[in-house]
Amino acid sequence: MTAAARKSILVVSRHAHPGSSLPRSALDTALAAAAFDQPVALLFQGEGVLQLLSEQDSRAAGVRNLRKVLDSLPLYEIETLHVDAAAAAAFGLDRDALPAGAEWLDAAGIRALLARHDHVLGF
Amino acid sequence: MLPISAFDPEGFLRELQDWTPEVAEQIAAGENIHLTPAHWEILELLRAYYQRFDSSPAMRPLVKWVAQQLGPDKGRSIYLLSLFPGSPAKLGSKIAGLPKPDNCL
Amino acid sequence: MLLHTLSRSPAHSALRDCLAVLGPDDALLLLGDGVYAALAGSEAAELLAASGAALFVLDADAALAGVRERLLPGATVVDDDGFVALSERYSRQLAWY
Repeated sequence: MTAAARKSILVVSRHAHPGSSLPRSALDTALAAAAFDQPVALLFQGEGVLQLLSEQDSRAAGVRNLRKVLDSLPLYEIETLHVDAAAAAAFGLDRDALPAGAEWLDAAGIRALLARHDHVLGF
Repeated sequence: MLPISAFDPEGFLRELQDWTPEVAEQIAAGENIHLTPAHWEILELLRAYYQRFDSSPAMRPLVKWVAQQLGPDKGRSIYLLSLFPGSPAKLGSKIAGLPKPDNCL
Repeated sequence: MLLHTLSRSPAHSALRDCLAVLGPDDALLLLGDGVYAALAGSEAAELLAASGAALFVLDADAALAGVRERLLPGATVVDDDGFVALSERYSRQLAWY
């Protein structure tokens, strides 16, 4: 695939896990795009920030610990997780609760992020 | 020897806790692979990956993970293909008793 | 320059999340239960108008919901061809649901 064919993709994930299956679909989409060598970024907006809680104990429910899967994203060349700072604050989450390398964005920052991607996909 | 009912139609172990090194030998034999210490080194890394990331890796992250853990000589597709021909991520996960990788495209 | 589509009722977090990023260069097409956000005099409609975004409502869904005659004056009603035309004008789309 030539460099010219690469399109930057932003996946916007804004539902809570595991009540909705959309977070899992968002993650699968990001991983699939990364497997095709497309530059992918992820934004967790609104309730989506709750996916990032690290204490998920999902064994009994038979679903994945989504935060653990998200921690593997750098191995897929997806380096930065973008977090809706206002939503995180509204849910009482501070920086210690979320991944260390996450980039916290205000509304203007989120608009800029949306503006600089070739494709945006909402989940 | 685990009965055939312990495996799904593609030969992946249904229950992670059924896995033992003997089970790995059984699955590998079915794939015509004789497990050597070089295989075991990768199988252990696959199991560690699953513990840490709650998923089986696709090929690219597997290569990167092996490179991080064992150095660049082993963190290469060609090396992994020599141990697990065809699809190292899929075959390695199968022998390590892990679920089939989701993103084996 | 994004075409947003909103298909959830105004009580859902989709509206709030969309409003957080909706800008004056953008367009918003309401469809499904999203059409209720364009009810004239509603809180949602005021927030949408304040965003400065161009506002569109899918005709069939507005008729089905019974809001076609009660839409915010600034909203433009479009049919399926209008939806296609909007998709052509805005190369990037983001669905809120």
